[in-house]
Amino acid sequence: MHFEAHFQQIVNGLTLGAIYSLIALGYTLVYGILAMINFAHSEVLMLGSFTALGLATFAPEVFGASPLGLAALFAVSMSVAGLVNVLVERFAYRPLRCISRLAPLISAIGVSIVFQNAVFLWVSTQSLAFPQPGVGSQVSLFGANVSSLQVVILGAALGLMALLHFFVEKTKLGKAMRACADDLSTAGLMGIDADKIIAITFFVGGALGGAAGVLYGMNYGSIKYNLGFLPGTKAFTAAVLGGIGNIRGAVLGGFILGFLEVLASGYIPDGAQWRDVIAFTVLIAVLLVRPSGLLGEKMAEKV
Amino acid sequence: MSRRPHAIVLAVLAVLSASCGPKEKVVKIAVAVPLTGDMGTEGQGLRRAVELAVEEANAAKRFPYKLVAAPFDDRADPKEAVNVANLIISDPRIIAVVGHYNSGCAIPAAKVYARAPVAMISPAATNPEVTAQQLSPDWGGPKMVFRVVPTDDVQGPSAAEFAYRRLGKRRMSVLHDKTPYGQGLAEEFQKTFIRLGGKVVTEDGVAVGDKDFKALLTKIKGGNSRSEGIYFGGLYTEAGLLLKQMRELGLKDPFVFISGDGSKTSGLFDVAGDAADGAYLSIPGVPVEDLPSAKEFMAAYEKRWTGSGEEVKPFDHFGYEAARIIFAAMEQGATDRPKMIEALRKTDFTGVLGQTRFDEKGDTLNKIVTMTRAKAKDRAFDSLR
Repeated sequence: MHFEAHFQQIVNGLTLGAIYSLIALGYTLVYGILAMINFAHSEVLMLGSFTALGLATFAPEVFGASPLGLAALFAVSMSVAGLVNVLVERFAYRPLRCISRLAPLISAIGVSIVFQNAVFLWVSTQSLAFPQPGVGSQVSLFGANVSSLQVVILGAALGLMALLHFFVEKTKLGKAMRACADDLSTAGLMGIDADKIIAITFFVGGALGGAAGVLYGMNYGSIKYNLGFLPGTKAFTAAVLGGIGNIRGAVLGGFILGFLEVLASGYIPDGAQWRDVIAFTVLIAVLLVRPSGLLGEKMAEKV
Repeated sequence: MSRRPHAIVLAVLAVLSASCGPKEKVVKIAVAVPLTGDMGTEGQGLRRAVELAVEEANAAKRFPYKLVAAPFDDRADPKEAVNVANLIISDPRIIAVVGHYNSGCAIPAAKVYARAPVAMISPAATNPEVTAQQLSPDWGGPKMVFRVVPTDDVQGPSAAEFAYRRLGKRRMSVLHDKTPYGQGLAEEFQKTFIRLGGKVVTEDGVAVGDKDFKALLTKIKGGNSRSEGIYFGGLYTEAGLLLKQMRELGLKDPFVFISGDGSKTSGLFDVAGDAADGAYLSIPGVPVEDLPSAKEFMAAYEKRWTGSGEEVKPFDHFGYEAARIIFAAMEQGATDRPKMIEALRKTDFTGVLGQTRFDEKGDTLNKIVTMTRAKAKDRAFDSLR
């Protein structure tokens, strides 16, 4: 294979990895604080992309292809997805938080089914076309075809990750979040309003999921009621691979999974149909050696 | 105390049965197709076509009883198809089945119908196995599967001839979606293409539901394979994504994309947009708009079903024909399920598809394949001659 083909594969892997990473962050943020897997996250992603499609369809003059319109599109879709996630937490998880570890998990699966079927029944059972601004303008970079859309995807994903890093590491709220992740009840004793911090965490995680949903729709140009399931599962895997609960781990895991998939279908003969098998075999192998994931700390048992 | 509820139940039942009154005799035709989900548009089209045929027969008072089309949703899911088939065989008023749409559904569902046995005419499932499975020694009933649509062993080879002779392609990449339909079609294409002297340079399977084919397409483009085009056996969602990502990677004319009837639907334009332009899609039979014999059907269909998304779908005329073949058998005295199977074997029907007769497997002897080319601007497929 020629150099340009390799470079093209790198671009493919980066775009795929960026989307997985963004979704994985949503899983990892929630897990970090509540040690709970938010199975409804894949539906938050789906709702984010449907919100964006709704905006672009019913108010094309506001949310058009101009950079400002795009930014507004992202902002509104992210807010909606974030709010949905907060509401889910408030009504489906919080009342169950102190009952058992299993109850919120089942509740999450329930919420996921409700959202998926609501969109299926009320919106559409079909694939809907999603606007793809900038897909037409191609840049040839070292012989590889890079669309301006791919640049947008990569830029938006990396930008959001940087923003998240800043938020968690440098702001007071971020500090409170880290405190809650360390120990929820002690943080509460220190005067941190744990419920508020949890709500904020869900908002941030949901907003990132919503952004991923918009990027996902733009990348593939069509969306469907069940679009969240596959990337959701894979991003969850990526979060575990990187060490669930660890923000940098989620990003690393997302990119690794993206590249593994590209490697499998692009370089291994007959690899496309074995892609998921290869990716998940690697995952199992990594977890056998490092059960807490690549960057996961050795976890003390939470009481 | 335990007596009273029973008394109430009996009273309610008595009232219910009284309120129904003397019942009109009803004979049902089951329409087992996907009514929701990705394949829902095609299935809904088939349902409309069969309902149209039923309404016409009722209006013309062809039978001394009322005909009813009973739709069943198999969601294009083989498991669901078996559930639906079990429901169908347990309703004695159903005399025959028009269905299923997907080969993956038709194959297991036919096994259920064989147990009843009740005749099934598929308007769209093209995998040879749908009828060929009846020849196996452990087939659990009489031969009762029929189909009015030509099979993949007609469609695949025809596409290969088209690629080799008309387009002059010598090196093709073959992809399929690992379903009985997609893989079957791809294998038939491959066999003929190699026999003609062409070379299949890459061969890959993708999963239904996959979104990202860029790595695979980059391999096809960048390898030393010097591939001149893709033949894809699969359905429109994956076909649309492949087309879109192909164009994004710069795989454009003269690099061709050829696929089968599962991709030839307006949904392709929803998924692929302008990238669908120029794709070649083969379909069994002749497109309904090119059939002089189907003019009346088209007019009646458009009169009966108007509204957005209710236009004629690619397989509707096959569904309509299947229903009318069943009516013709009923007129010849096929008043119960076994007689229906017998009568269908002797079918010699001339209608919108031309003449339909079945071979010993139950496949139609009317084997025409048409190649079409997608035109994104008009969201249409032009027939090539």
